Amino acid sequence: MTQAPLSIRNVSKRFAEKTAVDDVSLEVNPGEIVGFLGPNGAGKTTTIRMALGLIKPDEGEVELFGETPGAQAFGRLAFLPEERGLYKKQTASAAIAHMARLNGMKGREAFKLADELLDRYGLSEAKRKKNKDLSKGMAQKVQLLAAIAHDPEFYILDEPFSGLDPVNQQILEDMVREIAERGRTILFSTHVMEHAERLCDRIVLISESRKIFDGSTEDALAQAPNRLVIDSEDSRLVDTITPFSKSVSKRDDGAYLSLLKDGTDAQSVLEKCVAQKIKLTRFTPKNPTLHEAFVAMVGHSRGFEDMEGLS
Amino acid sequence: MILPAINMRRTYLVARRDFLGYIKTWGFWISFLMPFVFGVLGFFASSWEFDLEPTRYEAILDETGLHGHKIRALRDTELKANERKVFEAIDQVSAVTGMKSQLLDIYDKQGSQAALNFLEGEFPQISNRVKLPKPSFIFVDPPSNDFEDLKEYINGNKTFMHEGKPSKLSGVLRLYEEDGKILGNHWSTLVNTDGELRFYSRYFRAISVENYLSSGGLTVDGLNDARQPKFEIESFNPAKEISGEVTSQAVTKSDMIPYVVAAVMTVMLWLTIFSGSYMLLTSMLEEKLNKLLEMMLASTRLSEIIFGKLLGVAALTLTAMIPYFLIGGVGIVAATIIGGPEVAAGLSNAFTLKMFIFFPVFLVLGYIFYGSFFIALGTLANSMQDAQTLTTPIMLILTMCVMVVPVGLNSPESPVLQLATWFPLSAPFAAIMRLPSDPPWWELIMSAGFVFLMALAVIWFAGRIFRFGVLSGAGVKGIWVWFKRVVLRRKTVG
Repeated sequence: MTQAPLSIRNVSKRFAEKTAVDDVSLEVNPGEIVGFLGPNGAGKTTTIRMALGLIKPDEGEVELFGETPGAQAFGRLAFLPEERGLYKKQTASAAIAHMARLNGMKGREAFKLADELLDRYGLSEAKRKKNKDLSKGMAQKVQLLAAIAHDPEFYILDEPFSGLDPVNQQILEDMVREIAERGRTILFSTHVMEHAERLCDRIVLISESRKIFDGSTEDALAQAPNRLVIDSEDSRLVDTITPFSKSVSKRDDGAYLSLLKDGTDAQSVLEKCVAQKIKLTRFTPKNPTLHEAFVAMVGHSRGFEDMEGLS
Repeated sequence: MILPAINMRRTYLVARRDFLGYIKTWGFWISFLMPFVFGVLGFFASSWEFDLEPTRYEAILDETGLHGHKIRALRDTELKANERKVFEAIDQVSAVTGMKSQLLDIYDKQGSQAALNFLEGEFPQISNRVKLPKPSFIFVDPPSNDFEDLKEYINGNKTFMHEGKPSKLSGVLRLYEEDGKILGNHWSTLVNTDGELRFYSRYFRAISVENYLSSGGLTVDGLNDARQPKFEIESFNPAKEISGEVTSQAVTKSDMIPYVVAAVMTVMLWLTIFSGSYMLLTSMLEEKLNKLLEMMLASTRLSEIIFGKLLGVAALTLTAMIPYFLIGGVGIVAATIIGGPEVAAGLSNAFTLKMFIFFPVFLVLGYIFYGSFFIALGTLANSMQDAQTLTTPIMLILTMCVMVVPVGLNSPESPVLQLATWFPLSAPFAAIMRLPSDPPWWELIMSAGFVFLMALAVIWFAGRIFRFGVLSGAGVKGIWVWFKRVVLRRKTVG
């Protein structure tokens, strides 16, 4: 399998006066887990809908399994939309089996698989329960199972973690890993960076309708400034660290937070302080997180060089 | 217009889910079984001695001595007349025509019990079902001649024996004379019961009429005789074909049967379309609000969802109509047996080839036409209130369409009905209602053709509005945005 399951080239989509997606390109390669990140309203869901062929782009091209999105992708694709729901009066087992059958599975096989999946993911008690009687978390898991039961080649999950409690988020994360281990391709959108950081091979960041980053997680992390929490009773401290910093701010606990300039590491600051004989009471370099990288890149794309509140 | 591609399996699965989604609910089975339950209850109720309104016992304290016996005589006459009507009705039943005059003779000469005994011996299957009307009240002799004492019986403080049972007196009519005038009051604890009062009014009105007529030397019998028509104007229909059992062009009751059948079929068609369309609306709204459609669209074509829904709800609606079809079928068979050849001929005239062809054609086309409309509107709504607002105009039109039934019954050649046959929204109903007038084939085919073309247009429209409605927040305001963007193709982009 060498063909990219999804290829989006220079697509744009406008709704009335608003540009929802502006010249976005994206390729998802076989076996990859791609995180599609962006703030709310950035255009993630519209891009996903175009990828599925649910709406047509005004400009650009979309290829799903090498063809224009359409019926040829049915059964090869799993899609979990951002907003969830189930037929209230259907049982969990029937809901999963129904979607599996729509995706090509045979009746008996689909019902058997539905029961197996519910057992495997700790939802045995929900099998014969009507969906309206399930808790929100259980219902979300049932819908996810309904979307993925037919075990397709390519998974598109729109904000799969939203609305789940931490325990269920972890279960879902494990499910995604399990799917990836089977060699399946996954594209999921999220604005919760921790999941993307732990799961993704590659990250695509979209902000204000435009793509602003497409690369590995490491490359993304490199986009965030290194930070240093430092403190001393010596009044020369601020003057000493300022040349190394994009900004220096005083924290509530009295320590200083320095956003280090690109290419500067905390070690250089430490060497300078030692040379100045400044006695430090605190020296805590902080590795950037994907969240910080995300904030930095979004801030940069919006024209803000220094983003506040990164601590 | 290119017909949409459809995978039959997925269409079936969508239809199946919609069908089972409704059929597994209590509400469906309650509605489904209701006609049978009422039928069974009705059947048994006719056999049970279920006394909803026990007979009341009325007494007359006639201090004038002028009216008491006459009032009781009038009551006996009325009750007997009511009883006789039952035996007259049995006379009308053709299956027992053989004993027609015999039964009434026995009743007139020997009374009701003898007539019932005769029926039991000759036609036990009928006699079981015959129930003589139970009088709401009967007269009894006053248990006391003292008015104050009678009040005790009315209040229930005292009882009197009637047919071996202690009984309560329900009321007393007291007639007395004062200053040369006859006066009367009625005493009873049953303040809401006025049957007795109406009966007394009838009696005293008859007395007044009799007195008035006698002052001119006339009699009540003479008046009644004068009011009887001395000849009847018989109706003839020159278009009526004389063949088989029909030997005259005289208009009979059977000639009206096709119109009644057409009216019933039109109402059935209307009910099917109305209930089916409404189910489609709520089903679509549920899926939209549940956000299921978006997930389904990743594995199912839009056309498969629309047709699946149409099929599923059609199957459901037809299933829900089974009791009514069965009852209709039983009714037709019963009417044929009881009504005899005249009714059979009328029914045969009603269920013509045109009815067999065009009823299903207009049922399917009308359902698709309105169903697709309601599906589209369901996708645009974001709540039940939205749905009601959006569907109000189409509901009004649909409700107005049922008005073709009275028009068709009273004036089958009305231009309104003919015009309605060419208007796709009302054509399914108007065309069926016109069938007894035997409209030309070409008119029916053209009318069906118009509805077909309109149905295709609505499916196209539904498809476009569906995608817009499902994937955008839509709502009522969204219609104009959609109309500009999709229908007018106006560039609303920035």
